[in-house]
Amino acid sequence: MAGISTKSARILVFSTEKISDPAIDMAGLLKLHYPPTVYTISVPCSSGIKPAWILHAFEKGFDGVFIAADGSDCTYGESCTVKTGRLVSMTHEIMKEKKLEPARLRMAAICSVCSEAFVKQIKSFNQYLLQMTQS
Amino acid sequence: MNRKLGVYICHCGGNISDYVDVEKVKAAVEHDEGVFLARTTMFACSDATQKEMVEDINANQLDGIVVASCSPKLHLTTFRAVAERAGLNKYNYVHANIREQVSWAHSDNKTGATEKAIHLVKSAIARVRLAESLDPITIPSRKAVAVIGAGISGMRAAIELADMGCPVTLIEREHFVGGRVAQWDLLFTTDQTGKELVTRLYDDIAKRSNIRLLTGAEVIENTGNIGDFTLKVKVTPRYINERCDEGNLQRAIDACPVEVPDDFNFNITTRKAIYHNFPSEYPQYPVIDIKNCTRCGECEKVCGSIDFSQQEKTVEVKAGSVLMATGFDPYNPSEGEFGYLQFDNVVTLPQFKRIIDMCEEKLTFRGKDIHNIAYIYCVGSRQVEAGASSAGGSATDRYEEASRDISGENRYCSRYCCTSVIHSAIETKKRFRAVNNYHFTRGIRTYGKQELLYNESLKMGDIYLQSYENDPPSVIRENGKTTVRINDIMTAGKEISVNADLIVLVTGMVPRSDNRIASLFKLPKGRDNFFNEIHMKLRPVETVIDGVTICGACQGPKNITESVNSSLSAATKSFSYVSKGELELEPIIARVDAALCTWCGKCMEACPFDAVKKVVDGGKEIAAINNSVCKGCGMCLPVCPVNAIDLVAYSDQEMETMINALAEDIK
Amino acid sequence: MAEKIFKDSFDALVIGGGIAGGEAALNLANNGFRVILVEKDLSIGGKMIHLSKVFPTLDCSACITTPKVSEISRHPSITILTGSEVKKIVKRGKNDFEAMVIKHPRYVREEDCTGCQLCEQACPVVVNDQYQYDMVGRKAAYIPFSIASPRVAAIDIENCTLCGACEKACPTKCIDFTQEATEYQLSLRSVIIATGFNLFDPLKIERFGYGKMKNVITSMQMERLLAPTRPYNTVLRPGDGKMPCRLAYVLCTGSRDITVGNPICSQICCMYSIKQAQLLMGALPMADVTIYYINIRSFGKGFEEFYDQAKGMGVNFVKGKIGMISEKEDGDLILRYEDINDNVVKEASHDMVILSVGVVSNPDNAAFFDSGQLRLDPFEFVCQTDLLASPARTSIGGVFVAGTASGPMDIPDSILSAGAASSEAMSYIIRK
Ligand SMILES: Cc1cc2nc3c(=O)[nH]c(=O)nc-3n(C[C@H](O)[C@H](O)[C@H](O)COP(=O)(O)OP(=O)(O)OC[C@H]3O[C@@H](n4cnc5c(N)ncnc54)[C@H](O)[C@@H]3O)c2cc1C
Ligand SMILES: Cc1cc2nc3c(=O)[nH]c(=O)nc-3n(C[C@H](O)[C@H](O)[C@H](O)COP(=O)(O)OP(=O)(O)OC[C@H]3O[C@@H](n4cnc5c(N)ncnc54)[C@H](O)[C@@H]3O)c2cc1C
Ligand code: SF4
Ligand code: SF4
Ligand code: SF4
Ligand code: SF4
Repeated sequence: MAGISTKSARILVFSTEKISDPAIDMAGLLKLHYPPTVYTISVPCSSGIKPAWILHAFEKGFDGVFIAADGSDCTYGESCTVKTGRLVSMTHEIMKEKKLEPARLRMAAICSVCSEAFVKQIKSFNQYLLQMTQS
Repeated sequence: MNRKLGVYICHCGGNISDYVDVEKVKAAVEHDEGVFLARTTMFACSDATQKEMVEDINANQLDGIVVASCSPKLHLTTFRAVAERAGLNKYNYVHANIREQVSWAHSDNKTGATEKAIHLVKSAIARVRLAESLDPITIPSRKAVAVIGAGISGMRAAIELADMGCPVTLIEREHFVGGRVAQWDLLFTTDQTGKELVTRLYDDIAKRSNIRLLTGAEVIENTGNIGDFTLKVKVTPRYINERCDEGNLQRAIDACPVEVPDDFNFNITTRKAIYHNFPSEYPQYPVIDIKNCTRCGECEKVCGSIDFSQQEKTVEVKAGSVLMATGFDPYNPSEGEFGYLQFDNVVTLPQFKRIIDMCEEKLTFRGKDIHNIAYIYCVGSRQVEAGASSAGGSATDRYEEASRDISGENRYCSRYCCTSVIHSAIETKKRFRAVNNYHFTRGIRTYGKQELLYNESLKMGDIYLQSYENDPPSVIRENGKTTVRINDIMTAGKEISVNADLIVLVTGMVPRSDNRIASLFKLPKGRDNFFNEIHMKLRPVETVIDGVTICGACQGPKNITESVNSSLSAATKSFSYVSKGELELEPIIARVDAALCTWCGKCMEACPFDAVKKVVDGGKEIAAINNSVCKGCGMCLPVCPVNAIDLVAYSDQEMETMINALAEDIK
Repeated sequence: MAEKIFKDSFDALVIGGGIAGGEAALNLANNGFRVILVEKDLSIGGKMIHLSKVFPTLDCSACITTPKVSEISRHPSITILTGSEVKKIVKRGKNDFEAMVIKHPRYVREEDCTGCQLCEQACPVVVNDQYQYDMVGRKAAYIPFSIASPRVAAIDIENCTLCGACEKACPTKCIDFTQEATEYQLSLRSVIIATGFNLFDPLKIERFGYGKMKNVITSMQMERLLAPTRPYNTVLRPGDGKMPCRLAYVLCTGSRDITVGNPICSQICCMYSIKQAQLLMGALPMADVTIYYINIRSFGKGFEEFYDQAKGMGVNFVKGKIGMISEKEDGDLILRYEDINDNVVKEASHDMVILSVGVVSNPDNAAFFDSGQLRLDPFEFVCQTDLLASPARTSIGGVFVAGTASGPMDIPDSILSAGAASSEAMSYIIRK
């Protein structure tokens, strides 16, 4: 089993303290495995992530950044979905300018019990990133 | 800043150390900048380790600690308290989640798990190096609680809160209080009646001057937050004056020409547009169901108390905490499910409860005498995935078989129904002559002392049959006779048929179908779609929405005792939010860099809480954050074109240093 | 008998420091009331602190209990007396109780003991460790268990030979064989009874062979074998230390059984057995686990899903009543049972049998008040005199019941019941 870690992409996940982080915790509780090179930093709300942080992660060598967004469950208001979407497209624009493949930043709404959805998303993102780095 | 840090890495008894090499983690971080001591511990949360941490902090003058253990959802507050006891500001402690997000998530890959743990601990260390000491923000908290729903749970909570000296507004959507319990006659396991219970609680409420009861009242808007909620409540009038003459009123009811299905009796009877909720109507005067009223004026002719000029009002309710007790709906079988609405002698358990309450000497339904009763259990509960159950359902002129599909979303057991149906079956046998009870079960669940009822019913000769998991009983109508057929486990799979006069579908509990209240308060739901608590054992009545507690059947199926236990627990919790008149809030809020800000107003637009205002500072227009209003969501951060806003504890520096640590290669 | 007498007054006396008593004490203390918590055992934490993981979330039990326990033990408004017993309570009037409590000598000065365990190493006497349910030994000078609170030593004076080895070993000189009982005379405004439950004694069912056949154990012993603070590092057959691979659970042991005088259902044993089965499938990947049941009672939030999960993992559920258990020479066990699905009597061989023992009442409750004042139910649990509207009330005004002292309950229900008891106590005290 050892050494598997080298075969997975490095992904930085921004999760949210009240909504998506509990889902990621539950993925662990249910022993739904995903690559161990997936790291989470949790923030209060996905609409408060600065594009600069995302770009910083790419600069430091992360293959992908995944935003586990609050979606419509956000405790700070319905505008969260729109605002998170906006910051993601803003970042996509900057990435294009910087010649970074925009698909390396993904977002999906992960509700507080969406453990399976999270793992599925991450696995497919990992697949995508691995293929991309190989080609 | 030169910091002196302590790092604790928890085995969690093996939960972590079985998959993460904690000693290796320790070795990898103990020489990181600022780390003065690094230890591994069996249970970081144990009293002994907590003491040790306090001693370490004091003896070595540590100014920051990192604990790598389970999810911060469990123990963030535990370790913050440790820091505080040692005289360290609690924000100088940073948590690394190496259980839920490492050892458990990667139990298939120990090397990978250990590496990830090292990264996470290093990033926590990097963060704590920059952490600031912060003081909580104190806000006033209004000593008042709004209780939503006046069922048994809400009424009981209101009384308790009032007795603790806390003013309560009790908001009930219906025109009568009591919720479901008002609809049941004899109750398990005490044989009190619902009417008795509701009467007593209503009297208790009426006696207390610090409870304001609003009926016909629906919350339509919710603003504000813990400590200071403002609810807008739409109150529909009764169109009848409080002081009214009963005789006249009865005449008015008789005069009303409109007949509609009676909700209270689950539509097996009808009522007028002006109606009582007999037998347990509180407050004790009727109401005109204005939606169905045709304004024909017949009632006005015979009764002077009727007053169509009464207006709908909007009442503002202010409270420091909101206690949610909105209850459940009985599962509503679909047409044809075990013959429901297909055969005229198939009813649900709630309907059956009303039928036995309304029958006096003889048990009859739709004019027919009832002797053989078949109870089909778990209807709408313990459902299986589609495809797993057999469907049934064929029809000819004389032979008709109902659908016996038990697939659906409701995986859970509704917990009250086995006991309730057995109790009702016993009562039926005792009260009416020549009744035979046939129970088509999926395994009886009369847990605890409720088992005594099951024993009693066995002694009285009730017949119990049990179906195989994916082979529910079938309901067949042939030549005007209804039969329930089962392959019975108890007799080694023998097919048994029972001719039934009445078939009772033992329906479970489901969340309220009209649950607009959930979106008003953004209450999260669990896998079963009932409202969800934060943690079943640690915080069973709290929700992620600060200041909002939940109890009773809106949180999940419960009998009365269980509902009241949770309701009193929620009352205590809500009380603790408001009893001191003030609350401490997290100081994690936005901060504007006055030098950078050029006042474009974008942050003000982005903020959903109106926390940003324009101020003039040193002759310059800049944005300013209202500390007691800002929730720390950070929505204002990404919109600022000059990057002038940071969130405390999530500054660019902190985020970047964490990312750096996560990205670093480990030797 | 008691040398010293202390007098003090509190808003509430909580009897029993399990999860229910602890929760009730915390609720009261967090709302500004002064509480005295009297625990008979050497540590607070009740049964829960000894469990492995808890259904239906599989949270580690110690991880939930220990923080609560430590919060209780350092709360400025809670005074804890461990190793202590309530001898008598008298109600003098509304809001006015008097109680006499005896704190038995521990023969170790709690304040000075550092928990270094040197006395344990020095002590030559070995006896059964009651906290590991007799599966391993401990010394006569001992720390009750690793996560005990307080985590300080005690001398088991009944088994101590007074050799003095521990006294010599103790670096802080805190062992004191002259300690005597202390009496507390307490003035109180309310009382909460949270004395918990007892486990059914399986020796009463001889045909199950407990006590004679080594590989027949109780579910509580299995909890210990699975707990993070377990006696061995894995699950072993007590008979010969072999790894078991065909385990059987006998549900309803001592419950739903008129022959042992207990017709009621214990409410927790189905679920804890399913939990243990899941944990065993994890701990012993090669093992087969069979659960013999009458009905599976997975009724609570998330329980049915948990039951489904166990079926999905391959736990074998057999609807059958166990007639008797016999032992083979190699220690394996033959279960004779009535298979209800097939309606025949069958036999099955297993190498370890776990008796899912039920919940019975704690006889201590009868003695707190003068005879008959505190009404008990037919099974001698504390009677809930207003079960529907005020489940925490008892036959004495101002005396409330929390947790399993009133009947079988799982942890979530015990906690909510404690919430109700503390809530009622609070309004009782405030109302005056
Ligand atoms: C057929 C049947 C028989 C039963 N028999 C027994 C028994 O014998 N013994 C027993 O212990 N238990 C019994 N139960 C269980 C018992 O009914 C529940 O435990 C109890 O009703 C739960 O009370 P509650 O207050 O949580 O919810 P509810 O009784 O559902 O009350 C909720 C209240 O909130 C109000 N409400 C809902 N939404 C809003 C809103 N948005 N705004 C304002 N108000 C709102 C409702 O109108 C209602 O008045 C039985 C249940 C059923 C289905
Ligand atoms: C094998 C097993 C596994 C279980 N697993 C689970 C599970 O996974 N999930 C779950 O939810 N539940 C589980 N339970 C149930 C759980 O243990 C109980 O719900 C819970 O412990 C009840 O807490 P309590 O405080 O009411 O009682 P107890 O834990 O019994 O605590 C009572 C306390 O009172 C003290 N005491 C007794 N008499 C006196 C006296 N006279 N004076 C002073 N103090 C006294 C006792 O020493 C004890 O500390 C399990 C139970 C068993 C037996
Ligand atoms: S309580 Fe009984 S009838 Fe109700 S869902 Fe559970 S098993 Fe079925
Ligand atoms: S952090 Fe959120 S609440 Fe605070 S000012 Fe910014 S947008 Fe408003
Ligand atoms: S040797 Fe002394 S200090 Fe150490 S555990 Fe024993 S009694 Fe306590
Ligand atoms: S909970 Fe299950 S094992 Fe325990 S007594 Fe009840 S039916 Fe038997």
